[in-house]
Amino acid sequence: MDRRRIVPFALGAVLLAACSNKKPPTTTEEKIEPLKELSAKKVSVDLATPDPGAAYWQDVPAGAATLAAQPMITPRPSISFTEKLIIQAIHDGTRVAFRLRWKDTEKSEAGHLGEYSDAAALQFPVKDGPPPLVMMGQKDGPVHIFHWRAQYQRDEEKGKPDMKDLYPNASVDMYPLEFKEAKALNANASETEKFSPGVAEGNPQSYVKKGVDEIIAEGFSTSSVQKGHGSAAKGEWKDGTWTLVVSRPLAIEGGSTLRPGAKGNVAFAVWQGGKGEVGSRKCVTMFWTPVSIL
Amino acid sequence: MSKVKNWHLQREIEYPYDESRPKKQWAIVFDLNKCIACQTCTLACKTTWTSGKGQEYMFWNNVETKPWGGYPLAWDLRILEKLGRQAWSEKGEYQGKTIIEAAPETERVLHWAPTDDDWMYPNVGEDDCGGGTQDGGGHIPNTPHDKWFFYLPRTCAHCTYPACLAACPRKAIYKREEDGIVLIDQSRCKGYGECVRACPYKKSMYNPYTRTSEKCIGCYPAVEQGVQPQCVVNCIGKIRVMGFINPPWKAREDNPVDYLVHKKQIALPYYPQLGLEPNIYYIPPVHADRAYLRQMFGPLVDGAIQRYKELPRDPVAHGLLCLIGSTDRIMHRFDVKRGIAAGFDEKGEEIVRVPVTEPVVERAAFDPKYNAIRNNTP
Repeated sequence: MDRRRIVPFALGAVLLAACSNKKPPTTTEEKIEPLKELSAKKVSVDLATPDPGAAYWQDVPAGAATLAAQPMITPRPSISFTEKLIIQAIHDGTRVAFRLRWKDTEKSEAGHLGEYSDAAALQFPVKDGPPPLVMMGQKDGPVHIFHWRAQYQRDEEKGKPDMKDLYPNASVDMYPLEFKEAKALNANASETEKFSPGVAEGNPQSYVKKGVDEIIAEGFSTSSVQKGHGSAAKGEWKDGTWTLVVSRPLAIEGGSTLRPGAKGNVAFAVWQGGKGEVGSRKCVTMFWTPVSIL
Repeated sequence: MSKVKNWHLQREIEYPYDESRPKKQWAIVFDLNKCIACQTCTLACKTTWTSGKGQEYMFWNNVETKPWGGYPLAWDLRILEKLGRQAWSEKGEYQGKTIIEAAPETERVLHWAPTDDDWMYPNVGEDDCGGGTQDGGGHIPNTPHDKWFFYLPRTCAHCTYPACLAACPRKAIYKREEDGIVLIDQSRCKGYGECVRACPYKKSMYNPYTRTSEKCIGCYPAVEQGVQPQCVVNCIGKIRVMGFINPPWKAREDNPVDYLVHKKQIALPYYPQLGLEPNIYYIPPVHADRAYLRQMFGPLVDGAIQRYKELPRDPVAHGLLCLIGSTDRIMHRFDVKRGIAAGFDEKGEEIVRVPVTEPVVERAAFDPKYNAIRNNTP
């Protein structure tokens, strides 16, 4: 957001509050118009490396989407922890990038038992024509989801945490086939991985993440992580607000394709890990938002 | 919600899926009068299954000191407190709500969510009720009751109506048709922790290294070969036996588990009021506080203890108790004839034979052949 616009507004709001004794708006974001449609204009910057703080976002129009606690299946949040999501979109001819901003009082990256990560997701229909159900699609109406987690971003930046990273003060004698004696017959990685069931089973969840997961779903309970198509994401948490950019190729074979000059659809979800949100405990947009690639 | 039959509660209960009983149901019977909390079961399980990264804190089998011990901390008190006071009829029909029936409309299961702090103490309160003082390392200054305690060994109960399975939004948990063992699909789990929250017995555990949830697998690779789980075959007190339980309408008197649970009615499920039809059964401790035992095992506990005390006069029951711990194979059938107890596998082949009363041989104190004094030291 343009700081030059913030200052006069904030001053005005304070003066107004002093006169009317009403609580002033705290940010300019409350002035942003409700999101009805997204238009992604073409820009001449490389969107392969998402940058939520880049100056070029200042000139991109923003809309405010309304989110509500996921209402369709249990378990679900009893209240809507995230009610507003500010959204912008641009494309560079081969990739489209979405910038999302939402309030979250604490940064949560998960790691320990009972902790969950902040996260956000963008969802697109896979097939052309009328979009499927907005709640994760339906049978024969698949959706393509780009799921960013703060936890996955930490993986990308610092590598997947080992137990010593998560619990630096923990004392462990030894792990199977990992001996402290240098001369011992230490096992190789594939042998020690057999003692970690998720890793041994090849569960994508158990491997190092690259910030964003690509998922295909045909309704609740069906989501399945796919091989990525070069999508990328970068989130920054500052002063109680997440700013996240998710960038994806426009055309994805076997997945969602957005075409210049045509309209597609997109839907959004946000998880506040610190509030225990994970899986179906999330806040979502209740309708598809049309998105035009200009 | 479906209406399903829960014979522990003698009524129908609500469950998200239809009733679908497995062909066989894995079950363990524990005699709590014999457990000495040596934790050999715990270590047998630990070294077999949970020695990897992220599993450091996990005890799929644990033994805790009741009434104060618990792993995770106060797991049972916390769900009971959430559920609130509920009623049973004297004949054993449950008149209260199960944790699924009592769930708020936004949840599938009434639950509490454990964190690091709760898993940190595998057995706080251990033996404190035996008179430990705070100076001596105990944790509880004064108990509000006379000194009594008992040890409670626990595994996953491979419930007929698992809360973990009901709660998983990804349908990554399944109950095996062939033996009723409940497993988390390690290739599908995404670590949401819903099963960890939902299981009232807290036997689903999150692995922070693999970022998936894990649980007791009932030693299915052994069970598939007709061998009992590690925690059972390593029990030095011979307090437990694993077998397959039938519902009461299909009970067979010659099935060891059916005999103890249905025929003699001396083994009871724990916290049956939670509504999951758990398949680990306990012979209650005869000396512990009855009000506490009624809370844990329901209103049938008094009769179970009475019948247990009468067992020594029952040659068949006596014989079965001799068979427990005498074989590592799974007994599908047993019989006791002419002072000999025998156990049989699924094919009907004999796998174990023991005398109900060990023969006693009196020998002279001096062995002239070896010119040695005999004594009783092993």
